[in-house]
Amino acid sequence: MKNIFISGKEQDIPAVLANKDHRAAVQRRLVADYPEMTVVAAKLNIPGPIKNNSAIKEFFVAGLYQLEQQWLQAGTAFYQKGQWLEAGTGPERFYLVKAAATTVKKATTAFEEATASNRLFDLDVLVKEGEQVRPLSRADSSQPARRCFVCGRPAKECGRSRRHSVAKLQAAVNELIVGALATAHQSVVSDRLVQFAQRALLYEVMAWPKPGLVDPVEHGAHPDMDAFTFINSSVALHRYLYQAAEVGMHASTADYPLLFNELREFGKVAEQDMFVATKGVNTHKGAVFSLGVLVMATAASWHKRGRIDLADIQSVVKAALVDLVKGDLKQQPAAPNETAGEQQYRKYGLTGIRGEAQAGYPTVFRYGLPTMLKTAGTWNTRIVQTLLALARHTEDSTLIKRAGDPAILKWKDQQVDQCLAAGGVTTAAGRALLNDLEQEFTRRHLSLGGTADLVILTVFLTIVKEELADGLANE
Amino acid sequence: MDIKKTALAGTLESSDIQITLSKGDNGINIDLDSSVEELYGDQIRKVITDTLAAYGVDNANVKAVDKGALDCVVKARTMAAAQRALETTDQPDWEVF
Repeated sequence: MKNIFISGKEQDIPAVLANKDHRAAVQRRLVADYPEMTVVAAKLNIPGPIKNNSAIKEFFVAGLYQLEQQWLQAGTAFYQKGQWLEAGTGPERFYLVKAAATTVKKATTAFEEATASNRLFDLDVLVKEGEQVRPLSRADSSQPARRCFVCGRPAKECGRSRRHSVAKLQAAVNELIVGALATAHQSVVSDRLVQFAQRALLYEVMAWPKPGLVDPVEHGAHPDMDAFTFINSSVALHRYLYQAAEVGMHASTADYPLLFNELREFGKVAEQDMFVATKGVNTHKGAVFSLGVLVMATAASWHKRGRIDLADIQSVVKAALVDLVKGDLKQQPAAPNETAGEQQYRKYGLTGIRGEAQAGYPTVFRYGLPTMLKTAGTWNTRIVQTLLALARHTEDSTLIKRAGDPAILKWKDQQVDQCLAAGGVTTAAGRALLNDLEQEFTRRHLSLGGTADLVILTVFLTIVKEELADGLANE
Repeated sequence: MDIKKTALAGTLESSDIQITLSKGDNGINIDLDSSVEELYGDQIRKVITDTLAAYGVDNANVKAVDKGALDCVVKARTMAAAQRALETTDQPDWEVF
Protein backbone atom coordinates (compact mmCIF):
# COMPACT_ATOMS: atom_id res chain seq x y z
CA MET A 1 0.00 0.00 0.00
CA LYS A 2 1.08 3.53 -0.76
CA ASN A 3 2.50 5.39 2.29
CA ILE A 4 1.21 8.95 2.49
CA PHE A 5 3.60 9.83 5.33
CA ILE A 6 6.68 9.94 3.10
CA SER A 7 5.85 13.59 2.39
CA GLY A 8 5.01 16.49 4.67
CA LYS A 9 6.89 18.74 7.09
CA GLU A 10 7.48 17.46 10.61
CA GLN A 11 5.90 19.54 13.38
CA ASP A 12 7.24 19.99 16.89
CA ILE A 13 5.24 20.46 20.10
CA PRO A 14 5.68 24.27 20.22
CA ALA A 15 4.31 24.60 16.67
CA VAL A 16 1.31 22.43 17.53
CA LEU A 17 0.60 24.36 20.75
CA ALA A 18 1.05 27.73 19.04
CA ASN A 19 -1.48 26.61 16.45
CA LYS A 20 -3.90 25.58 19.20
CA ASP A 21 -3.59 29.07 20.68
CA HIS A 22 -4.16 30.64 17.28
CA ARG A 23 -7.18 28.44 16.67
CA ALA A 24 -8.59 29.26 20.12
CA ALA A 25 -8.27 32.98 19.34
CA VAL A 26 -10.07 32.55 16.00
CA GLN A 27 -12.81 30.58 17.71
CA ARG A 28 -13.24 33.18 20.45
CA ARG A 29 -13.62 35.89 17.83
CA LEU A 30 -16.15 33.90 15.75
CA VAL A 31 -18.24 33.04 18.79
CA ALA A 32 -18.24 36.70 19.84
CA ASP A 33 -18.99 38.05 16.35
CA TYR A 34 -21.80 35.60 15.47
CA PRO A 35 -23.78 34.99 18.66
CA GLU A 36 -26.79 33.74 16.68
CA MET A 37 -24.75 31.01 14.93
CA THR A 38 -23.02 27.88 16.19
CA VAL A 39 -19.30 27.79 15.40
CA VAL A 40 -17.84 24.47 14.23
CA ALA A 41 -14.08 24.00 13.98
CA ALA A 42 -13.11 21.15 11.68
CA LYS A 43 -9.69 19.52 11.80
CA LEU A 44 -8.08 16.10 11.69
CA ASN A 45 -6.53 13.92 14.36
CA ILE A 46 -3.30 12.85 12.71
CA PRO A 47 -0.90 11.48 15.34
CA GLY A 48 2.83 11.81 14.81
CA PRO A 49 5.02 14.64 13.57
CA ILE A 50 3.55 14.86 10.04
CA LYS A 51 0.12 16.43 10.09
CA ASN A 52 -0.39 17.69 6.56
CA ASN A 53 0.48 16.88 2.95
CA SER A 54 -1.43 16.67 -0.32
CA ALA A 55 -3.16 13.37 0.54
CA ILE A 56 -4.18 14.56 4.02
CA LYS A 57 -5.50 17.82 2.60
CA GLU A 58 -7.47 16.03 -0.11
CA PHE A 59 -8.91 13.62 2.47
CA PHE A 60 -9.94 16.56 4.65
CA VAL A 61 -11.66 18.46 1.83
CA ALA A 62 -13.42 15.35 0.51
CA GLY A 63 -14.66 14.45 4.00
CA LEU A 64 -16.01 17.94 4.65
CA TYR A 65 -17.81 17.78 1.31
CA GLN A 66 -19.69 14.80 2.78
CA LEU A 67 -20.39 16.73 5.98
CA GLU A 68 -21.76 19.61 3.92
CA GLN A 69 -23.95 17.15 1.97
CA GLN A 70 -25.25 15.87 5.30
CA TRP A 71 -26.15 19.39 6.40
CA LEU A 72 -27.68 20.25 3.01
CA GLN A 73 -29.89 17.19 3.11
CA ALA A 74 -30.96 17.95 6.66
CA GLY A 75 -31.87 21.49 5.65
CA THR A 76 -29.29 22.89 8.07
CA ALA A 77 -28.14 26.32 6.92
CA PHE A 78 -24.38 26.86 7.18
CA TYR A 79 -21.50 28.66 5.58
CA GLN A 80 -17.74 28.49 5.63
CA LYS A 81 -15.93 31.13 7.65
CA GLY A 82 -12.22 30.81 7.09
CA GLN A 83 -9.82 27.93 6.67
CA TRP A 84 -6.16 27.07 6.49
CA LEU A 85 -5.64 24.01 4.38
CA GLU A 86 -1.90 24.28 3.84
CA ALA A 87 -0.65 24.75 7.42
CA GLY A 88 1.98 22.24 8.52
CA THR A 89 -0.02 21.64 11.70
CA GLY A 90 -2.88 20.27 9.61
CA PRO A 91 -5.75 21.52 7.47
CA GLU A 92 -8.55 23.31 9.34
CA ARG A 93 -11.82 24.96 8.42
CA PHE A 94 -14.47 26.87 10.36
CA TYR A 95 -18.21 26.85 9.80
CA LEU A 96 -21.06 28.95 11.08
CA VAL A 97 -24.17 26.79 11.44
CA LYS A 98 -27.70 28.02 12.03
CA ALA A 99 -28.82 25.49 14.63
CA ALA A 100 -28.53 24.91 18.37
CA ALA A 101 -25.10 23.74 19.51
CA THR A 102 -26.39 20.46 20.93
CA THR A 103 -28.19 19.67 17.67
CA VAL A 104 -25.06 20.45 15.68
CA LYS A 105 -22.98 18.32 18.04
CA LYS A 106 -25.23 15.30 17.49
CA ALA A 107 -24.80 15.68 13.73
CA THR A 108 -21.02 16.13 13.88
CA THR A 109 -20.66 13.13 16.19
CA ALA A 110 -22.79 11.08 13.78
CA PHE A 111 -20.45 12.18 10.99
CA GLU A 112 -17.34 11.25 12.96
CA GLU A 113 -18.79 7.82 13.61
CA ALA A 114 -20.26 7.24 10.13
CA THR A 115 -17.25 5.51 8.59
CA ALA A 116 -13.94 4.18 9.84
CA SER A 117 -12.00 6.98 8.18
CA ASN A 118 -14.35 9.71 9.42
CA ARG A 119 -12.99 8.75 12.84
CA LEU A 120 -9.96 10.86 11.92
CA PHE A 121 -12.10 14.02 11.83
CA ASP A 122 -12.28 16.20 14.89
CA LEU A 123 -15.28 18.51 14.64
CA ASP A 124 -15.44 20.84 17.62
CA VAL A 125 -18.77 22.53 18.32
CA LEU A 126 -18.00 25.63 20.35
CA VAL A 127 -20.06 27.13 23.14
CA LYS A 128 -19.58 30.15 25.31
CA GLU A 129 -19.20 29.43 29.00
CA GLY A 130 -18.75 32.57 31.07
CA GLU A 131 -15.79 34.37 29.54
CA GLN A 132 -14.44 31.21 27.97
CA VAL A 133 -15.20 29.38 24.76
CA ARG A 134 -15.07 25.61 24.98
CA PRO A 135 -15.90 22.70 22.69
CA LEU A 136 -18.96 20.67 23.65
CA SER A 137 -17.89 17.22 24.67
CA ARG A 138 -19.72 14.10 23.69
CA ALA A 139 -20.62 13.65 27.34
CA ASP A 140 -22.57 16.96 27.20
CA SER A 141 -25.10 15.27 24.94
CA SER A 142 -24.79 11.83 26.60
CA GLN A 143 -22.91 10.34 23.69
CA PRO A 144 -20.19 7.73 24.20
CA ALA A 145 -16.58 8.95 24.19
CA ARG A 146 -14.27 8.45 21.25
CA ARG A 147 -12.53 5.13 20.82
CA CYS A 148 -8.93 4.57 19.83
CA PHE A 149 -8.72 3.75 16.12
CA VAL A 150 -6.02 1.17 16.73
CA CYS A 151 -7.40 -0.87 19.64
CA GLY A 152 -10.90 0.45 20.45
CA ARG A 153 -10.10 1.46 24.05
CA PRO A 154 -11.18 4.98 25.14
CA ALA A 155 -9.11 7.25 22.92
CA LYS A 156 -7.96 9.56 25.72
CA GLU A 157 -6.36 6.66 27.61
CA CYS A 158 -4.35 5.48 24.61
CA GLY A 159 -3.36 9.04 23.71
CA ARG A 160 -2.22 9.87 27.25
CA SER A 161 -0.32 6.64 27.78
CA ARG A 162 1.25 6.65 24.32
CA ARG A 163 0.25 3.04 24.18
CA HIS A 164 0.81 2.76 20.44
CA SER A 165 3.99 3.68 18.58
CA VAL A 166 3.93 6.52 16.05
CA ALA A 167 4.75 3.98 13.33
CA LYS A 168 1.73 1.88 14.28
CA LEU A 169 -0.59 4.91 14.48
CA GLN A 170 0.63 6.19 11.12
CA ALA A 171 0.10 2.79 9.54
CA ALA A 172 -3.50 2.77 10.78
CA VAL A 173 -4.11 6.37 9.61
CA ASN A 174 -2.47 5.61 6.28
CA GLU A 175 -4.78 2.68 5.63
CA LEU A 176 -7.86 4.77 6.47
CA ILE A 177 -6.83 7.72 4.29
CA VAL A 178 -5.67 5.68 1.31
CA GLY A 179 -8.93 3.72 1.38
CA ALA A 180 -11.06 6.85 1.72
CA LEU A 181 -9.22 8.60 -1.12
CA ALA A 182 -9.75 5.62 -3.43
CA THR A 183 -13.49 5.85 -2.71
CA ALA A 184 -13.44 9.62 -3.21
CA HIS A 185 -11.62 9.17 -6.53
CA GLN A 186 -14.28 6.72 -7.66
CA SER A 187 -16.99 9.27 -7.15
CA VAL A 188 -14.92 11.95 -8.91
CA VAL A 189 -14.48 9.59 -11.87
CA SER A 190 -18.21 8.74 -11.89
CA ASP A 191 -19.07 12.44 -12.00
CA ARG A 192 -16.53 12.97 -14.74
CA LEU A 193 -17.91 10.10 -16.86
CA VAL A 194 -21.42 11.56 -16.60
CA GLN A 195 -20.11 14.93 -17.78
CA PHE A 196 -18.24 13.28 -20.65
CA ALA A 197 -21.37 11.36 -21.68
CA GLN A 198 -23.53 14.48 -21.68
CA ARG A 199 -20.87 16.38 -23.60
CA ALA A 200 -20.80 13.56 -26.17
CA LEU A 201 -24.59 13.80 -26.63
CA LEU A 202 -24.44 17.57 -27.05
CA TYR A 203 -21.27 17.66 -29.19
CA GLU A 204 -22.84 15.27 -31.68
CA VAL A 205 -25.89 17.45 -32.29
CA MET A 206 -23.74 20.61 -32.51
CA ALA A 207 -21.61 19.40 -35.44
CA TRP A 208 -22.49 20.57 -38.98
CA PRO A 209 -23.09 19.58 -41.73
CA LYS A 210 -24.46 16.10 -40.93
CA PRO A 211 -26.48 14.47 -43.74
CA GLY A 212 -29.64 12.81 -42.46
CA LEU A 213 -29.20 14.17 -38.94
CA VAL A 214 -30.21 17.11 -36.80
CA ASP A 215 -27.70 19.93 -36.49
CA PRO A 216 -28.15 23.56 -35.49
CA VAL A 217 -28.29 24.67 -39.15
CA GLU A 218 -30.87 22.27 -40.51
CA HIS A 219 -32.96 19.26 -39.58
CA GLY A 220 -34.93 18.62 -42.75
CA ALA A 221 -34.63 14.85 -42.47
CA HIS A 222 -36.19 15.05 -38.99
CA PRO A 223 -38.93 17.69 -39.14
CA ASP A 224 -40.35 16.66 -35.76
CA MET A 225 -37.21 17.69 -33.83
CA ASP A 226 -34.43 20.27 -33.81
CA ALA A 227 -31.18 20.87 -31.95
CA PHE A 228 -33.09 22.17 -28.94
CA THR A 229 -35.01 18.91 -28.67
CA PHE A 230 -31.64 17.17 -28.36
CA ILE A 231 -30.53 19.55 -25.65
CA ASN A 232 -33.70 18.68 -23.77
CA SER A 233 -33.11 14.96 -23.88
CA SER A 234 -29.34 15.23 -23.22
CA VAL A 235 -30.06 17.11 -20.01
CA ALA A 236 -32.88 14.75 -19.04
CA LEU A 237 -30.53 11.74 -19.18
CA HIS A 238 -28.30 13.00 -16.36
CA ARG A 239 -29.74 10.77 -13.68
CA TYR A 240 -29.59 7.68 -15.88
CA LEU A 241 -25.99 8.29 -16.92
CA TYR A 242 -25.06 8.71 -13.27
CA GLN A 243 -26.78 5.42 -12.47
CA ALA A 244 -24.86 3.76 -15.31
CA ALA A 245 -21.57 5.06 -13.89
CA GLU A 246 -22.44 3.96 -10.36
CA VAL A 247 -23.48 0.46 -11.48
CA GLY A 248 -20.03 0.00 -12.97
CA MET A 249 -17.99 1.91 -10.41
CA HIS A 250 -19.21 -0.09 -7.43
CA ALA A 251 -19.43 -3.44 -9.19
CA SER A 252 -18.69 -6.04 -6.54
CA THR A 253 -18.91 -8.74 -9.16
CA ALA A 254 -17.41 -9.48 -12.56
CA ASP A 255 -20.84 -10.86 -13.55
CA TYR A 256 -21.20 -8.19 -16.20
CA PRO A 257 -24.39 -9.60 -17.79
CA LEU A 258 -26.03 -9.13 -14.37
CA LEU A 259 -24.85 -5.50 -14.28
CA PHE A 260 -26.24 -5.04 -17.78
CA ASN A 261 -29.64 -6.33 -16.65
CA GLU A 262 -29.53 -3.84 -13.79
CA LEU A 263 -28.64 -1.05 -16.21
CA ARG A 264 -31.37 -1.98 -18.64
CA GLU A 265 -34.09 -1.41 -16.05
CA PHE A 266 -32.69 2.07 -15.40
CA GLY A 267 -32.65 2.51 -19.20
CA LYS A 268 -36.40 1.86 -19.45
CA VAL A 269 -37.06 4.68 -17.01
CA ALA A 270 -34.55 6.87 -18.87
CA GLU A 271 -36.44 6.35 -22.13
CA GLN A 272 -39.57 7.64 -20.45
CA ASP A 273 -37.61 10.62 -19.06
CA MET A 274 -36.41 11.31 -22.61
CA PHE A 275 -39.91 11.19 -24.08
CA VAL A 276 -41.19 13.53 -21.39
CA ALA A 277 -38.34 15.98 -22.11
CA THR A 278 -38.88 15.86 -25.89
CA LYS A 279 -42.69 15.74 -25.77
CA GLY A 280 -42.73 12.27 -27.28
CA VAL A 281 -39.92 12.50 -29.85
CA ASN A 282 -37.28 9.77 -30.06
CA THR A 283 -34.01 11.69 -30.00
CA HIS A 284 -31.69 9.39 -28.08
CA LYS A 285 -33.27 5.97 -27.64
CA GLY A 286 -30.30 4.22 -29.24
CA ALA A 287 -27.89 6.37 -27.27
CA VAL A 288 -29.65 5.54 -24.01
CA PHE A 289 -28.76 1.94 -24.68
CA SER A 290 -25.27 2.25 -26.13
CA LEU A 291 -23.96 5.22 -24.16
CA GLY A 292 -25.34 3.71 -20.95
CA VAL A 293 -23.51 0.46 -21.68
CA LEU A 294 -20.28 2.29 -22.45
CA VAL A 295 -20.45 4.52 -19.37
CA MET A 296 -21.11 1.47 -17.21
CA ALA A 297 -18.28 -0.49 -18.84
CA THR A 298 -15.84 2.42 -18.50
CA ALA A 299 -16.70 2.75 -14.81
CA ALA A 300 -16.43 -1.01 -14.24
CA SER A 301 -13.06 -1.09 -15.98
CA TRP A 302 -11.83 1.82 -13.84
CA HIS A 303 -13.10 0.04 -10.72
CA LYS A 304 -11.11 -3.03 -11.74
CA ARG A 305 -7.91 -1.37 -12.97
CA GLY A 306 -7.83 2.06 -11.32
CA ARG A 307 -7.07 3.63 -14.69
CA ILE A 308 -8.39 4.04 -18.22
CA ASP A 309 -7.77 1.11 -20.55
CA LEU A 310 -9.77 1.26 -23.79
CA ALA A 311 -9.16 -2.38 -24.69
CA ASP A 312 -10.42 -3.46 -21.27
CA ILE A 313 -13.50 -1.24 -21.60
CA GLN A 314 -14.29 -3.02 -24.85
CA SER A 315 -13.84 -6.43 -23.24
CA VAL A 316 -16.23 -5.46 -20.42
CA VAL A 317 -18.82 -4.43 -23.04
CA LYS A 318 -18.45 -7.79 -24.77
CA ALA A 319 -18.77 -9.69 -21.51
CA ALA A 320 -21.84 -7.70 -20.44
CA LEU A 321 -23.65 -8.15 -23.75
CA VAL A 322 -22.64 -11.74 -24.47
CA ASP A 323 -26.27 -12.90 -24.78
CA LEU A 324 -27.78 -9.77 -26.28
CA VAL A 325 -28.48 -10.92 -29.85
CA LYS A 326 -29.68 -14.34 -28.71
CA GLY A 327 -31.83 -12.91 -25.94
CA ASP A 328 -33.29 -9.95 -27.81
CA LEU A 329 -33.58 -11.04 -31.40
CA LYS A 330 -33.41 -14.80 -31.79
CA GLN A 331 -36.02 -15.76 -29.22
CA GLN A 332 -38.60 -13.08 -29.78
CA PRO A 333 -41.66 -13.59 -31.92
CA ALA A 334 -42.57 -10.61 -34.07
CA ALA A 335 -44.17 -8.09 -31.73
CA PRO A 336 -46.65 -5.50 -32.99
CA ASN A 337 -44.45 -2.67 -31.67
CA GLU A 338 -41.11 -4.15 -32.68
CA THR A 339 -38.24 -1.75 -33.28
CA ALA A 340 -36.53 -1.15 -36.62
CA GLY A 341 -33.64 -3.32 -35.45
CA GLU A 342 -35.92 -6.20 -34.49
CA GLN A 343 -37.86 -6.02 -37.73
CA GLN A 344 -34.71 -5.94 -39.83
CA TYR A 345 -33.30 -8.97 -38.07
CA ARG A 346 -36.52 -10.84 -38.86
CA LYS A 347 -36.70 -9.63 -42.47
CA TYR A 348 -33.05 -9.39 -43.52
CA GLY A 349 -31.11 -11.24 -40.82
CA LEU A 350 -29.28 -8.02 -39.92
CA THR A 351 -28.24 -7.89 -36.27
CA GLY A 352 -27.89 -4.08 -36.39
CA ILE A 353 -26.88 -2.18 -33.27
CA ARG A 354 -27.33 -5.27 -31.07
CA GLY A 355 -24.77 -7.19 -33.12
CA GLU A 356 -22.47 -4.19 -33.09
CA ALA A 357 -22.89 -3.77 -29.34
CA GLN A 358 -22.41 -7.43 -28.50
CA ALA A 359 -19.19 -7.50 -30.53
CA GLY A 360 -17.92 -4.60 -28.38
CA TYR A 361 -18.69 -1.83 -30.89
CA PRO A 362 -15.95 -2.89 -33.34
CA THR A 363 -16.99 -0.13 -35.78
CA VAL A 364 -16.38 2.49 -33.12
CA PHE A 365 -13.03 1.04 -32.08
CA ARG A 366 -11.81 0.21 -35.60
CA TYR A 367 -13.05 3.23 -37.58
CA GLY A 368 -14.53 5.90 -35.33
CA LEU A 369 -11.91 6.22 -32.63
CA PRO A 370 -8.80 6.14 -34.87
CA THR A 371 -10.35 8.80 -37.12
CA MET A 372 -11.31 11.09 -34.27
CA LEU A 373 -7.98 10.73 -32.51
CA LYS A 374 -5.92 11.47 -35.61
CA THR A 375 -8.10 14.30 -36.92
CA ALA A 376 -6.72 17.68 -35.92
CA GLY A 377 -8.75 20.83 -35.62
CA THR A 378 -12.01 21.82 -34.03
CA TRP A 379 -14.50 19.41 -32.51
CA ASN A 380 -16.74 20.17 -35.48
CA THR A 381 -14.07 18.94 -37.90
CA ARG A 382 -13.28 15.89 -35.81
CA ILE A 383 -16.93 14.93 -35.43
CA VAL A 384 -17.95 15.32 -39.08
CA GLN A 385 -14.89 13.40 -40.29
CA THR A 386 -15.68 10.68 -37.79
CA LEU A 387 -19.31 10.61 -38.86
CA LEU A 388 -18.16 9.93 -42.42
CA ALA A 389 -15.76 7.19 -41.34
CA LEU A 390 -18.46 5.52 -39.25
CA ALA A 391 -21.20 5.94 -41.87
CA ARG A 392 -18.98 4.19 -44.39
CA HIS A 393 -18.80 1.07 -42.23
CA THR A 394 -22.23 0.91 -40.62
CA GLU A 395 -25.36 -0.99 -41.65
CA ASP A 396 -27.48 1.84 -40.31
CA SER A 397 -30.87 0.40 -39.33
CA THR A 398 -32.51 3.83 -39.31
CA LEU A 399 -31.34 4.38 -42.89
CA ILE A 400 -32.65 0.98 -43.98
CA LYS A 401 -35.96 1.65 -42.26
CA ARG A 402 -36.41 5.03 -43.96
CA ALA A 403 -35.43 3.63 -47.38
CA GLY A 404 -37.40 0.44 -46.86
CA ASP A 405 -34.60 -1.58 -48.47
CA PRO A 406 -31.07 -2.55 -47.42
CA ALA A 407 -29.92 -1.72 -50.94
CA ILE A 408 -29.67 1.89 -49.72
CA LEU A 409 -26.45 0.91 -47.94
CA LYS A 410 -24.55 0.65 -51.19
CA TRP A 411 -25.69 4.10 -52.33
CA LYS A 412 -24.75 5.52 -48.92
CA ASP A 413 -21.26 4.02 -49.20
CA GLN A 414 -20.74 5.61 -52.62
CA GLN A 415 -21.82 9.03 -51.38
CA VAL A 416 -19.61 8.84 -48.31
CA ASP A 417 -16.64 7.70 -50.37
CA GLN A 418 -17.06 10.73 -52.62
CA CYS A 419 -17.11 13.09 -49.64
CA LEU A 420 -14.08 11.43 -48.10
CA ALA A 421 -12.16 11.46 -51.39
CA ALA A 422 -12.74 15.23 -51.56
CA GLY A 423 -11.32 15.66 -48.06
CA GLY A 424 -14.56 15.64 -46.10
CA VAL A 425 -15.27 18.70 -43.99
CA THR A 426 -11.62 19.80 -44.16
CA THR A 427 -11.82 21.08 -47.76
CA ALA A 428 -14.18 23.45 -49.56
CA ALA A 429 -14.94 20.77 -52.15
CA GLY A 430 -15.70 18.23 -49.45
CA ARG A 431 -17.95 20.67 -47.58
CA ALA A 432 -19.85 21.38 -50.81
CA LEU A 433 -20.45 17.66 -51.31
CA LEU A 434 -21.54 17.32 -47.69
CA ASN A 435 -24.02 20.16 -48.07
CA ASP A 436 -25.40 18.61 -51.25
CA LEU A 437 -25.67 15.27 -49.51
CA GLU A 438 -27.43 16.79 -46.51
CA GLN A 439 -30.00 18.30 -48.91
CA GLU A 440 -30.45 15.01 -50.72
CA PHE A 441 -31.02 13.17 -47.43
CA THR A 442 -33.63 15.78 -46.56
CA ARG A 443 -35.32 15.53 -49.95
CA ARG A 444 -35.49 11.73 -49.78
CA HIS A 445 -36.32 11.75 -46.04
CA LEU A 446 -33.28 9.59 -45.25
CA SER A 447 -31.56 9.39 -41.89
CA LEU A 448 -28.24 8.23 -40.42
CA GLY A 449 -29.71 7.89 -36.93
CA GLY A 450 -27.89 4.65 -36.13
CA THR A 451 -24.54 6.12 -37.14
CA ALA A 452 -25.17 9.16 -34.95
CA ASP A 453 -25.24 6.88 -31.91
CA LEU A 454 -21.82 5.53 -32.85
CA VAL A 455 -20.54 9.11 -33.22
CA ILE A 456 -21.71 9.81 -29.67
CA LEU A 457 -19.88 6.72 -28.41
CA THR A 458 -16.72 7.76 -30.24
CA VAL A 459 -16.83 11.28 -28.80
CA PHE A 460 -17.32 9.81 -25.32
CA LEU A 461 -14.33 7.45 -25.65
CA THR A 462 -12.20 10.21 -27.14
CA ILE A 463 -12.90 12.53 -24.21
CA VAL A 464 -12.23 9.66 -21.80
CA LYS A 465 -8.91 9.00 -23.47
CA GLU A 466 -7.88 12.63 -23.80
CA GLU A 467 -9.04 13.89 -20.40
CA LEU A 468 -8.91 10.93 -18.05
CA ALA A 469 -6.28 8.53 -19.40
CA ASP A 470 -3.66 10.02 -17.07
CA GLY A 471 -6.02 9.46 -14.18
CA LEU A 472 -6.52 12.03 -11.46
CA ALA A 473 -2.87 11.95 -10.41
CA ASN A 474 -1.89 15.43 -11.48
CA GLU A 475 -4.93 17.28 -10.16
CA MET B 1 9.73 34.14 43.02
CA ASP B 2 6.29 35.53 43.53
CA ILE B 3 3.34 35.47 41.18
CA LYS B 4 2.82 39.06 40.06
CA LYS B 5 -0.50 38.61 38.28
CA THR B 6 -3.01 35.91 37.42
CA ALA B 7 -2.06 34.29 34.12
CA LEU B 8 -3.49 31.62 31.85
CA ALA B 9 -2.07 29.33 29.18
CA GLY B 10 -3.51 26.54 27.08
CA THR B 11 -6.93 25.76 25.65
CA LEU B 12 -9.85 23.49 26.49
CA GLU B 13 -9.29 21.32 23.43
CA SER B 14 -8.61 17.61 23.37
CA SER B 15 -4.97 16.75 24.14
CA ASP B 16 -4.41 20.15 25.74
CA ILE B 17 -4.42 21.46 29.29
CA GLN B 18 -5.42 24.92 30.48
CA ILE B 19 -3.34 26.23 33.38
CA THR B 20 -4.36 29.29 35.40
CA LEU B 21 -1.82 30.59 37.95
CA SER B 22 -2.74 33.02 40.68
CA LYS B 23 -1.18 34.29 43.88
CA GLY B 24 -1.07 31.95 46.85
CA ASP B 25 0.64 31.91 50.22
CA ASN B 26 0.44 28.29 51.25
CA GLY B 27 2.69 26.34 48.89
CA ILE B 28 1.53 24.97 45.51
CA ASN B 29 -2.20 24.21 45.53
CA ILE B 30 -3.42 22.42 42.44
CA ASP B 31 -7.11 22.19 41.60
CA LEU B 32 -7.09 19.57 38.83
CA ASP B 33 -9.99 18.68 36.57
CA SER B 34 -9.01 15.85 34.23
CA SER B 35 -10.79 13.26 32.15
CA VAL B 36 -7.94 10.87 32.97
CA GLU B 37 -7.53 11.91 36.60
CA GLU B 38 -7.74 8.41 38.01
CA LEU B 39 -4.88 7.15 35.91
CA TYR B 40 -2.73 10.24 35.50
CA GLY B 41 -3.79 12.79 38.15
CA ASP B 42 -0.67 12.33 40.28
CA GLN B 43 1.64 12.48 37.28
CA ILE B 44 0.03 15.70 36.02
CA ARG B 45 0.37 17.30 39.51
CA LYS B 46 4.02 16.26 39.66
CA VAL B 47 4.84 17.78 36.25
CA ILE B 48 3.15 21.05 37.21
CA THR B 49 4.89 21.21 40.60
CA ASP B 50 8.32 20.35 39.14
CA THR B 51 7.96 22.91 36.36
CA LEU B 52 6.95 25.67 38.79
CA ALA B 53 9.87 24.70 41.06
CA ALA B 54 12.26 25.22 38.13
CA TYR B 55 11.05 28.83 38.00
CA GLY B 56 11.48 29.18 41.76
CA VAL B 57 7.75 29.43 42.38
CA ASP B 58 6.95 28.05 45.83
CA ASN B 59 3.56 29.61 46.45
CA ALA B 60 0.78 29.60 43.88
CA ASN B 61 -2.80 28.54 43.30
CA VAL B 62 -3.07 26.44 40.15
CA LYS B 63 -6.29 25.70 38.29
CA ALA B 64 -5.65 22.95 35.73
CA VAL B 65 -8.30 21.75 33.26
CA ASP B 66 -6.84 18.76 31.47
CA LYS B 67 -8.21 17.19 28.29
CA GLY B 68 -5.74 14.35 28.00
CA ALA B 69 -2.54 16.35 27.49
CA LEU B 70 0.81 14.58 27.29
CA ASP B 71 3.50 15.41 29.89
CA CYS B 72 5.38 17.60 27.43
CA VAL B 73 2.21 19.61 26.81
CA VAL B 74 1.52 19.94 30.55
CA LYS B 75 5.07 21.21 30.98
CA ALA B 76 4.88 23.65 28.06
CA ARG B 77 1.57 25.11 29.18
CA THR B 78 2.78 25.44 32.78
CA MET B 79 5.94 27.22 31.59
CA ALA B 80 3.91 29.64 29.50
CA ALA B 81 1.58 30.39 32.39
CA ALA B 82 4.51 30.83 34.78
CA GLN B 83 6.37 33.25 32.50
CA ARG B 84 3.23 35.32 32.05
CA ALA B 85 2.45 35.26 35.79
CA LEU B 86 6.02 36.26 36.64
CA GLU B 87 5.99 38.85 33.83
CA THR B 88 9.28 37.52 32.53
CA THR B 89 8.13 37.36 28.96
CA ASP B 90 4.98 37.42 26.84
CA GLN B 91 5.96 34.24 25.04
CA PRO B 92 7.10 30.90 26.42
CA ASP B 93 10.84 30.31 26.19
CA TRP B 94 11.01 27.08 24.26
CA GLU B 95 14.77 26.84 24.84
CA VAL B 96 14.08 25.64 28.36
CA PHE B 97 12.82 22.35 26.95
